[in-house]
Amino acid sequence: MNATSPTHRTVMRSQLGRARGLGSGHSGTGHWIVERVSAASLLPLSGWFVIQMFRLGGADYEQVAKWGGKPVNATLLAALVATSFYHAEVGLQVIVDDYVHGKAHAPTKLLVKIGTGLLGLLGIVSVLKLALGRPASKG
Amino acid sequence: MVELRLPRNSTVGKGQFFPAPAGSKNVRTFKIYRWTPDDGSNPVMDAYEIDIDSIGPMVLDALIHIKNDVDPTLTFRRSCREGICGSCAMNIDGENTLACLKPIRDMQGDIIINPLPHMPIVKDLVSNLDGAYAQLRSIDPWMKADSAPPPDGERLQSPEERAKLDGMWECILCFCCTTSCPSYWWNGDRYLGPATLLAAYRWIADSRDEHQGDRLDSLEDTFKLYACRTIMNCTQTCPKGLNPAKAIGRIKELQVERKL
Repeated sequence: MNATSPTHRTVMRSQLGRARGLGSGHSGTGHWIVERVSAASLLPLSGWFVIQMFRLGGADYEQVAKWGGKPVNATLLAALVATSFYHAEVGLQVIVDDYVHGKAHAPTKLLVKIGTGLLGLLGIVSVLKLALGRPASKG
Repeated sequence: MVELRLPRNSTVGKGQFFPAPAGSKNVRTFKIYRWTPDDGSNPVMDAYEIDIDSIGPMVLDALIHIKNDVDPTLTFRRSCREGICGSCAMNIDGENTLACLKPIRDMQGDIIINPLPHMPIVKDLVSNLDGAYAQLRSIDPWMKADSAPPPDGERLQSPEERAKLDGMWECILCFCCTTSCPSYWWNGDRYLGPATLLAAYRWIADSRDEHQGDRLDSLEDTFKLYACRTIMNCTQTCPKGLNPAKAIGRIKELQVERKL
């Protein structure tokens, strides 16, 4: 990256002014904490989920619906979905910060938040439907 | 957006070849990045064959020999030639280090020398560090204390308090670490970089400083501090053997401590 020709400078702001920039955003620690806490929480939740899926192997719809209707299962399942998509949101934002610059940065970051939020919501609604809805009784 | 290629004016071409004088015995080739702002041409890699038996042991000795005896147009910074001034920081064989501390015989094959990565170039191996220096200044790297000092002497520290500064006061600000950091390459305009964060923690950890909270406040930022992705290139490359990644980790610990 070579210096451009000194005959025309578009930026004449001092280096110190540029370094100080817009100052501190007074956020970042919270993001850093939840990134790690959500990752750690996903370990037991995912372990539980994998074990449950093995136990439900070959089960039919009624059995799965009955499993999902139990409050403990529904709670853990909802926690797993929420934590997964929250972790995805937090992690994808970091990738956007690293690789997307300039004008595209802010809208991309918003899209990540909205996208992961909606997908997470879809997962939660599905869990609730499984937990609260009555399985269609076979005639 | 994402830049996958070098800008066209930064594509590096092949340069001149300077053969070793006849009768040289222990010849090594130094391939050195050359660029001048004067003629609008692209950078090139010039190749210099040097008889390393005829010069001192370090890469800086080879550079000085080239400038004195082979090609006086070669431009680089150097001063103390003993690893305390930080002037001759450059990328040697793919690693940022000080030319005066890098033994030629430690390397195999051709020795490839580039300026510090991803900084604007002034000429040849001289990179423009104005932005990094300004970032250092932005964290106020000096003692800030409101209590009056003792009238009859200096502000005192216990040996334990003083020991907390070890591994930080030794930094010579060569910016090998900052310019080795991919996160700094991506967001160098907003991320402060390891050298500046090490300096910031040096003052946060100083028992005589009374502005730890303000210092933490000004670093509490998604980019200034938290753009550190713990890649650890900084610690691996530091020619003084310091650990900027650890200092950054300590700052994060303190931020978490006062939040939770």
